[in-house]
Amino acid sequence: MTPDRSATAEHALKLLRLISLELAFVDPHAQKPAEELRRLIAELEEAAAVHAPQAIRDLAAAARSLVEPSPGVAVTLTTDAIVHLHDWQPRMEEAVIAWSREPESSGQQAPVSPPAQPVASQSEVPQARRQSPAPAARATAATELFSVLPDDADGELVRLFCSESQDLLQDIEQGVLVLEERPEDKDTLATVFRAFHTFKGNASVMKLTVIQRLAHELESLLDAARRGAYRLDRRAIDAILAGADTFKRFIDEMAVQIEGTRVGQQISLPVAAVIEDVRGMLSAPQQPAAAAPAPPAPPTAAPAIAVPPAPAVAAEPVAITPPAAITPRPTPAVVAEPAPPPPPAAASAGAGSAGLIRVDTAKLDGLIDLVGELVIAQSMVTQNSDLQAVASEQLARSLGQLRGISTELQRTALSLRMVPVRGTFQKMARLVRDLSGQVGKEIRLVLEGEETEVDRTLVEELGDPLVHMIRNAADHGIESPTDRVAAGKDPSGTITLRAFHKGGMVFLQIQDDGRGLSVSRIRGKAIERGLISAHEQLTDREVLDLIFAPGFSLASTVTDLSGRGVGMDVVRRNIERLRGTIEIDSAEGRGTTFSIGLPLTLAIIEGLLVQVGDQRFVVPTLSVRESFRPLPSMLSVVQGRGEMVNVRGTLTPLLRLAEYLHIPSAVTDPTQGIVMVLEAGQDCRCVLVDALVGKQEVVIKSLGETFQDQQEFAGAAILGDGRVGLILDTTSLVRLKLKHAEAA
Amino acid sequence: MTQPSHSPNVPPNQSELAARPGKYLTITLGRESYGIPVLKVREIIRICPITRVANMPPQVRGVINLRGKVIPVVDLRTRFGLPAGADHDRTCIVVTQVAATVGNGTRLYGVIVDGVEEVAHFIADDLQPTPDFGGAIDTRFITGMAKAGDSVKSLIDLDAIAAAEGAALDTPASLPPADGQ
Repeated sequence: MTPDRSATAEHALKLLRLISLELAFVDPHAQKPAEELRRLIAELEEAAAVHAPQAIRDLAAAARSLVEPSPGVAVTLTTDAIVHLHDWQPRMEEAVIAWSREPESSGQQAPVSPPAQPVASQSEVPQARRQSPAPAARATAATELFSVLPDDADGELVRLFCSESQDLLQDIEQGVLVLEERPEDKDTLATVFRAFHTFKGNASVMKLTVIQRLAHELESLLDAARRGAYRLDRRAIDAILAGADTFKRFIDEMAVQIEGTRVGQQISLPVAAVIEDVRGMLSAPQQPAAAAPAPPAPPTAAPAIAVPPAPAVAAEPVAITPPAAITPRPTPAVVAEPAPPPPPAAASAGAGSAGLIRVDTAKLDGLIDLVGELVIAQSMVTQNSDLQAVASEQLARSLGQLRGISTELQRTALSLRMVPVRGTFQKMARLVRDLSGQVGKEIRLVLEGEETEVDRTLVEELGDPLVHMIRNAADHGIESPTDRVAAGKDPSGTITLRAFHKGGMVFLQIQDDGRGLSVSRIRGKAIERGLISAHEQLTDREVLDLIFAPGFSLASTVTDLSGRGVGMDVVRRNIERLRGTIEIDSAEGRGTTFSIGLPLTLAIIEGLLVQVGDQRFVVPTLSVRESFRPLPSMLSVVQGRGEMVNVRGTLTPLLRLAEYLHIPSAVTDPTQGIVMVLEAGQDCRCVLVDALVGKQEVVIKSLGETFQDQQEFAGAAILGDGRVGLILDTTSLVRLKLKHAEAA
Repeated sequence: MTQPSHSPNVPPNQSELAARPGKYLTITLGRESYGIPVLKVREIIRICPITRVANMPPQVRGVINLRGKVIPVVDLRTRFGLPAGADHDRTCIVVTQVAATVGNGTRLYGVIVDGVEEVAHFIADDLQPTPDFGGAIDTRFITGMAKAGDSVKSLIDLDAIAAAEGAALDTPASLPPADGQ
């Protein structure tokens, strides 16, 4: 190899890498990247002009013509041009690599490897498939179905890729579900197509060939649909969803690998089946052709080798998007029906995220922590007794201003953690779709209030309980179509997922219009399982709450209830761990509604400061139903169950906090102290403390590893005087006492 | 926990390896003198109000507020089974950075000591393996002994102490650990 040639090739490859980077981030409306691209491509063409063979020169020229600003039009790139550049880049790269590896003798007129064909189709492209980089290896990669994270993968880049891909996949999934309803929806088609396309581009930057190929196939399918050449039927939707799932699995695995736990392992990907499926769809004529007849382009006309990594497989007649803009009408069969220009929505879909930046959540949490500290420090200053003694109006004004600003700052900082529940809800859309197939029922999911914002941590924690409840609703709540018709209902059932804010809390509701819960059956079951006694008087609501009782579910229950309670105790525990509540409302025959109430944020709680002996504790205000100084007549000792307090007719066990926490010198006579009624779910316990000190908003801090195994405290907080106050874990206090009482 | 007649948990040659030559912060506990690797020490603060955490092992004195961070403080005297004494004006908290037991990060860990002496440099010749005390003294937390003049200082393994705190708490509680958010 002459030094000239290797130098040129090397230079060209470097430029191509830069181009691919630019391409990955290019925005059709942003001016600067377009200019950068233009500059790089011009440089590439220049570099190729001297030593490179004709085919490469053609490729470079084709790219330049794409980015050339049309006269009188703004300098931005069209979406189409970007799309074609994405196709062009890997082909060019392979062509250059192939050329640089060719034996010296073949000289400058060396044929370019096949992948270059579509672009260079006017020129004499030889069919000889030689020197394409390791074609055999690539071909097997397609069938062996794995992909490995490149060893030299840049961690930061991979992370970026993962998080971006997750967003894209969500767009895809959401869009596809819309397409299932309205297959001809142009905007959605364009959005999904674009999402696949961006994804493919990103994968190619990451050199994830297998991923790139699958994305390419799916993109082709959508492109055909977008041009009206293929109507998306259920099979196609399934294939796209399957493909999206594959990507998801891959990305999840990649995310794990990049965290360093399992480095460099192969990631198995069942891509071949999906690819085959998609190809089958595209090549088989579709009978009720909505628009043009299906375009199984004759092999000769089709740009057969548009899939760079696997020429052998790709040689099948796949109706891959011809790079029409590069070579005008190379395949009349496909372009017979001129592709409609991509609707502006395609571009605006990407522009929606323009005003956003990605921030590491650890940084965000750090900021919120600091702001919390600032607010506390501010209140320490404001309440400083020395300062308060100063009679200065100006000082008072300044302090007031400081307080106002820090409160506002805290509010803003906390809002940074808030995200719409949309993402979680959309996952449920997919779940319902899959479930309705599995259980053979027609189920519609109605989403309401998707833009309701909740704390990011909550969103993550809510996924599982929601999945569980939706599964229950689909499986056991909604009746079969025949039953529904018999009951005079619409044969297809509806599950409504609703989110809204109310009274400083965020509420999520899962409502189905199914058969509802039968109070008498739950009651019977509970008696059978010994959860309640036969003569116990319970309100309907109390009976319904029994489905949250641990163990209620374990039964081979009455048929129409079976599974209804499975894991509902776990659901409730999870919700309570998030300091939330869950309630059921059900009318037999008309459906069931679960309402989950959650605090807006997990970072801050409103706390009651209580004194016990020489210590002060924070009790989450939401768990305190009431507090009072008991009269001697309210106190009694029940044989075998310990001390009880009569709270308006209900005997509630009393827990002496000082005894439980081994605090000396605390009030021992309840009538001299304060009894707080704490509640956790449906359970209540009275807790004796010395006095209530005040009310304070506190930033919750973790107690850390040293205290990870204790159950008394939910965390710690810095109090107004700078000391640490412990936050009582009310749920465990209430529950622990329960056990104690039962054991006694 | 070790059998008096048998060798302690840590074989001598291993403890010989454990202590590294270098700079140590020497501290006093009662009348004994100890060394903490200076690289582990973040800062030394005066004794401050400590919030007691109930139902913890006796050596865990509680938590303090270190400029907005809640960190645990442990009484080294109690940890080593030395007679407890009241805090005095030389008592201080050495804030150290120890390995986290989950993940590979570090966490802050405060130890209460009776006083700090100096930062001493121990060369390899100064170091000796922990002698077999016949089980009378828990040698799990000692990486070795260092000669300094005519006195001998025990070199403390803070990571092991901090890690053992969690282990000591491994009560047969069936409930999952409460997640402090």
